This record gives sequence, structure tokens and C-alpha cells, in this order.
Amino acid sequence: MTPAPARETTAVRSTGAYPVLRAAARALARVVPVAVGVVLAVFFLLRLVPGDPARMILGERATPESVAALRTRLGLDLPLPQQFADFAVRLLTHGDTGDSLVYGTSTRALILERAPVSLGIVALAVAVSVLVAVPLAVTAARHRDGIVDHLVRVIPTIGLGMPLFWVGLLLIIVFAVTLRWFPVGGIGTTPLDPLRSLVLPAVAVSFGLVPPLVRSLRAQLLEVMSADFVTTLTAAGLSERRVTYGHVLRNAALPTLTLLSVYVASLIGGTLVVEKVFGINGLGSLLFNAIGNRDFPVVQGIALYCAVLVVVVSLVVDVLVAWIDPRTRRGASGSTGRSW
Amino acid sequence: MSRPHLRRLGRLAPLALATALVLSGCAADSGSPATDDASPQPGGTLTFGRVASVTSFDLNNEITANNAFAIDKVFEPLVAFDSTGTIEPWLASDYAISDDGLTYTFTLRDGVTFSDGTAVTPADVVFSLQRHRQVEGPLPLEAPITDIAEGTEGTVVITLSAPYTPLLSELSGFSNGIFPADFGGKTEQEFFAAPVGTGPFVVSAWDPAGDLTFTANKNYWQEGKPYVDELVYKLIPDDTQLLQQLQAGQIDAIDEVPPANVADLQANDATRVVTQGSWEIEQVFFNTQDPHFADVNVRQAIAHALDRDGITAATTFDTAQKADALIPPTIEYSAADAGYALDHDLDAAKTALAASAYPDGFDTTLLIASGNSQRAQEAQIIQSALAEIGITVEIESIDIAAFRQRFFAYDFDLMINSGQSDAPDPDGLVSFQADPEGFSQSYWTHYTNDRVTALLEEGRTTPDGDARKDIYLEIQQILANDVPYIPLFYPSNVKASTSAVHDLTVLPNGSVRFQDAWIQK
Repeated sequence: MTPAPARETTAVRSTGAYPVLRAAARALARVVPVAVGVVLAVFFLLRLVPGDPARMILGERATPESVAALRTRLGLDLPLPQQFADFAVRLLTHGDTGDSLVYGTSTRALILERAPVSLGIVALAVAVSVLVAVPLAVTAARHRDGIVDHLVRVIPTIGLGMPLFWVGLLLIIVFAVTLRWFPVGGIGTTPLDPLRSLVLPAVAVSFGLVPPLVRSLRAQLLEVMSADFVTTLTAAGLSERRVTYGHVLRNAALPTLTLLSVYVASLIGGTLVVEKVFGINGLGSLLFNAIGNRDFPVVQGIALYCAVLVVVVSLVVDVLVAWIDPRTRRGASGSTGRSW
Repeated sequence: MSRPHLRRLGRLAPLALATALVLSGCAADSGSPATDDASPQPGGTLTFGRVASVTSFDLNNEITANNAFAIDKVFEPLVAFDSTGTIEPWLASDYAISDDGLTYTFTLRDGVTFSDGTAVTPADVVFSLQRHRQVEGPLPLEAPITDIAEGTEGTVVITLSAPYTPLLSELSGFSNGIFPADFGGKTEQEFFAAPVGTGPFVVSAWDPAGDLTFTANKNYWQEGKPYVDELVYKLIPDDTQLLQQLQAGQIDAIDEVPPANVADLQANDATRVVTQGSWEIEQVFFNTQDPHFADVNVRQAIAHALDRDGITAATTFDTAQKADALIPPTIEYSAADAGYALDHDLDAAKTALAASAYPDGFDTTLLIASGNSQRAQEAQIIQSALAEIGITVEIESIDIAAFRQRFFAYDFDLMINSGQSDAPDPDGLVSFQADPEGFSQSYWTHYTNDRVTALLEEGRTTPDGDARKDIYLEIQQILANDVPYIPLFYPSNVKASTSAVHDLTVLPNGSVRFQDAWIQK
């Protein structure tokens, strides 16, 4: 009996030789046009919006002369093509979009200082979400239409409906103020503090991640479980557990992995709300303040950073998918069997 | 016992009694929210949560509060104002004004040194003030100064071309702090990256986008102060987080308190609230170039239609004081008690509107900056109040950078904004709001009244006293009738701390004199 024809998943890119390397190369080639497009769009669109950075820095009561002097000092009164040329040169030679108009420090330094915290929230949130979503989805799929299945489908969706800032405040009240297990906010100063400080924010974010992951994974699991090869494996005597976690999950995970990468992409620049609620000085709040202050170099820098990182994330996911998918590992011509 | 012995005992008795009293007082203090008669204990780190970071110490080029209230910990002026706005000698131990009001002689206090130990000399004062005049900063000296020079024997002499009563007030501002001549041999940039001044604190670690740590100035001229060893300005951009971190004991004090939470903090034994009258005035401004608001009857009608008591109580949770005059009571010559303001009277409002060119009402737009929930509430109350006299208000809420762009271009009908004084003297505030020749053109209202303009000029040149008082009272009366703007309320400066923090002295501009503060162990 031949195995059932493999389902086409959107994750399958090619079955040629060195499939993983080729996926990586394609993704890298995507970075350049994306980055260029983002840089151009942000640079010019920002300057179309009303608002003067020098006036934002000095406030309403500062004399017009002092504001004009500051504009000159910051190079804001140069003609636009000149400003863009200076910016492009600085970016290509120093990898920096310029000094912050408000803080005076280089944007790259600001991003390097703040990014780890925001990335930490995202990474921890992903870890928590996956650790929660996988067992839930597997349990629901194995007990299809049972009471457990219904509970797993309904309860996380309630969490999805709660606004993030409200979830965050609830977590603070319960776990920080009342139980004192975690700090109320901020990052803390001792080496151990950062991890403790990121737990509640990560949990808050995962309220929004778990429901779609569970639903997607559960649906995929059910589909894969009904495939012939699963019947074959079970008939061959493998335990249900081994079949589920060793074979079914690997096949079912691919679309969910792609879905996860979409959510991670939106989280990369989107940690603002959770940062505000928990008093964390991360990239999200830096971006928000920079936009409010019309701090052009910082907004440009963060936009570029987010664009590049999103492409990198999709690259990682493509590689991961290509690696997990048994068909790409085998290769179409079946010759080398190399998995990268 | 022999007599001499008894006499010695006799002298000891009052001392023993006094000691017993003091000790019993101390015992009573530990545990209850402390009275500030307890004597200061030196030591400790005071962590102060603020919503904005410090981006520069260049005092002559700064104006915004986030930097000003770090600068005033490092640099100090010749004279300073206290929490009531009264000007007192500071780096100058004494000053004399000539009879014609043109010459001011300041005597430098003995023994004052910069934090690095070098003595402060008249040359430093002259250099600092001259530099301020040269850089054309955002908060310049407006006084008609012709010369600043060293006088005889440790004095500095400032000469004016015309009498200018607000001079001392201007000199008390943070932007007129004293620093070493020639920046102590460093370049400007080097100096302001590691500033050296006479102030109670020295910068030890500084992240312009994050926290700032000060250590106590060992050479500070006020004996025994500052009491704390270290002062940290911690960046916490969200005001709810400020509150939560204070309540959790993660920080010692906070720079602002959401008005809705003030009552809770006051009721809680673990926290303490300090409220101080400010120099701010929340106002509704009219663009008098708009055809509707060019008519004084319309403006008076709107003033009568607003219940300022209600607005104050509802939007500030009773932490602010209703405004009955432009000049707040924390500044001299305030007419807040004089009863000039048009009262809440719907009939008078309708009558005034009937006398205008728009007796049936009209449509207009109220411009506010977004992100401020208190102001959004004020706008809604005003909208519904004006609906009662037939004026339909549309609220336009835009982001603050765009908001500033709009009203700077006079592209608004009505707006809500905050007027503010930077100094104890009324001239700065009133000129900014009523001088059509000033750069704001009467706070962007285009209001022109020749009598007011003449009075402003007189106010600047008349020495303090009853004559000057009458001038400012008359100005406020005219403004109350002409209503180019309607003062709504005077927000308070509200700071909070844990109950272990004592003597948080809050100044009317919102700054805190941290050299007075101490932490109870």
C-alpha cells in the first residue's frame, strides 16, 4: 500500500537539492528590498506629518529664536534631499540612522540598549504560549468533541477577548501587589531581576497568542490524525503517545509555526502596551515617544530594525519548516538525503 | 548634700526634663505618620520616579521641567524662591538696589565653593550671566541689562538702562544658575556632560534616555545638607506605574500623582502626599480673530455659561483650586479673591449672547491635545455647557505635536491649554498672555487692549508695593471683563512618597528641594 499522497502545505517551498540553504538564500534576498522600501517610506512620510521636533523639545513658551537655533543645530532646516543624503551616508557607513534629536545619543545605541528587553518579552511570551498551547491542542484533538475539547476551545478564546492592558493590570494586582511574587513594574537592578520582571508581561502577551495557536494546531492535528499513515503506524504497534508526539505533531505543526511567525512579527514592534502597563523602558515605548516628539532618526531606526527583524524571523521559520518537513529532508530526487 | 552640689543638680534638672521630653517625642513619632519636627537622619538613597528623562544640563539652553529640575540640583542662582514664592538670598548673601532702580549690587556669600572645592568668585557670576545673555536661550533674561561686572570686594554689579522690578525674580530662575568661569577650563560640551556647580547634588551616572543618579555634594554650603547620600531620578513613563511602584515600595517618591488616586494615598498610612499651590493656570483660550470670538459679548456669554466650580471638582477630584483670576494666589498681586471673574449664570450668558451678532448660537470647534484624559473631560463638560446656550461645540483632539503646530499658526477657534509662570513675579506670566507685541501675541489669542499694554509697561518699572499691586489688579479686572481667555482652575503640584520620606519641600514651579529631604530608618 502506498502512503497517501502528501498534503500540500504552504510551508513546502521546494524539494530540490539543499532545500534549507535555498530557503535561507531566498529570505536573505528579500531583506534588501524590504529594508530599502521601509527606509524611504518612513523618512519621507514622517516629514509630511505636521509637527516640529525642535518645538517639541523646547516646549510652547520657548522663544522662536531659540527654536530656530535648535532647528539649525539639528540640521532640520537643510533642504530635504540634503537631509536624506546625509542620512543615507550615515546609515551605510555607521549602520546608524542618526543621533536622537531628543536624547542626543546615537539611535543604534538606544536600540541596542532597549531591544533586549522587548525581545525578551517576545521570546518569553512565545515560549510560554507554545508550552501552554501544544498540550492543550493535543489533549483537545485526542478527546475530540468531548468536554475537554470544548473547554479548551472556549476558555482561551475568552482570554483573547480581554484587552491586553486590562489583563496586565489584573496580573499586577494579583501576582505583584497581593502575592508579591513579582515586581510591580520596571526591570530592576540585580542580575536576576530582569527575568522575574518579564514573567508577568510575557504571560499577559500570551493571553492573546495561545487561543489562535490552540485552534490552528488542534485543527491540523485532527486532519493529520485521520491520515492513512497514522493508521499504519498505530497498526504497526507504536503507542498512541509516540505516534502523536513523534509523527503527527511534526506534520501538524507546520502551518501553526507559520501562523506563530506572523504573530511574532507583529509583536516585534508591538510591545508598547505591555511596556507601558508594566513600566518597562523597551523599544515599544521608545518608538511611541519618538513618534510623539517627531524624533525622526529614532523612528527611522526602529522602523528599519523592525523590518529587518521581521524578515529574519520569517527566514528562521522558513528554515525551521524546511527542516521539520520530512519531504524536504528526503529531497525530490531522493539522492543525497541531506536535510540542510 | 552641700549647697554647691544642690545647685549643680538644680541646673541639671531642666536639662533632664528637656531630654525626657525630646525622647518621649521621638518615641511617639516612630510608627505614626511622622511629624516633621523629628530631626533629620542622614544617609540613604532616595529614588524619585519621574515620567521623563533628563536630556541636558546646559541650563542656559533649557526650559522644560524634565531638565530644569535636574539642573537646579547642580546649579544655583544668586537669589532663590521658596515654597511660597518669596525671594530669598541664596548664593548672594545680600543685595542692594539703588534708589533709581538702575543698579543692583549682589554680595557673594562667604565660603561657597563649587562641588570640586574651588571657591565661587564674582568672575564666575559674571561669566555665567553673560553666557546666558549670549546664547539666546529659550528662557532669556528680559531685563534691559547694560552691564554685568565685578564690583568691589566680592560683589557683582548689574546695571540696567531702565528700572525693571522683575529682575530679582528672573535671576531666581534655574536658567540663571552660576557655573565656573570658562567652564573650569573644559569645553562647553565636556562641561555639560559632567557639570560642576554649587548645588546640593553631583551627577554620578547619567543615561539621557533612562535614569540619572546624583551623589551628595560634600562641599555644599548649607551645613549638614543634603541629608541623603544618593538621589536617583528613575524613568517611569506611565503615571499608573509610578503609583504602583510607590505603593509596592519599589521607589521612595514620585513626581506626579493621578488626581483620582490622591485621596487613597492620603488615607494610606504607608504613603504620604505633599500638595503645593502651583504657578499653572488651566484656561480656555479664544482666537479673537475668529468672527464669533472677536465679539466680547460672545466671550462673556461663554464665560457665564461655564460652571468652573463643577469643572474643577469633577476633573481634578478637588486637588485643584478654582481660578477666579489670571494670576494664581501663589504669585503676588493675584486678584483671585477680588471677585472679578464672571460667575456661572445661564441667564446672564443668554443675555450676553443675545446682545451679540449671534443671538441664536453658532457652531464652533474646541481644539485639545490628545493623550490627556483630564483635558478630554474638561472639553466634554464645556461642550455640554455651551450647548445649553445654543453654541454647538465639536471637540477636535489631535496629537500634541500637531496641536502645537495648529495653534502656533493661529488655526483654532477655541482651545484648552495651560498657562504657566516660570518665576515669582507676575510680569512674565501677564506679559506672555496679554502683550500683543510678544511672540505669542497674547497667548495666541491676538488680544489687544491698549490700556493693558500701558499698564504692563508701568508694572515693570514700578517698585513693589501698593502702587504696583493696583496696576496688576486693574489688569486682571480688565482681563476678567474682556475674557480673551477663561481661567478654569489652578492645578496643584502633587508629589507622593512613602511615609519614611520626610521634608519633601515642593516649590511652586513643581521642583523639589531634595537637600531638605531625609529618610527615616
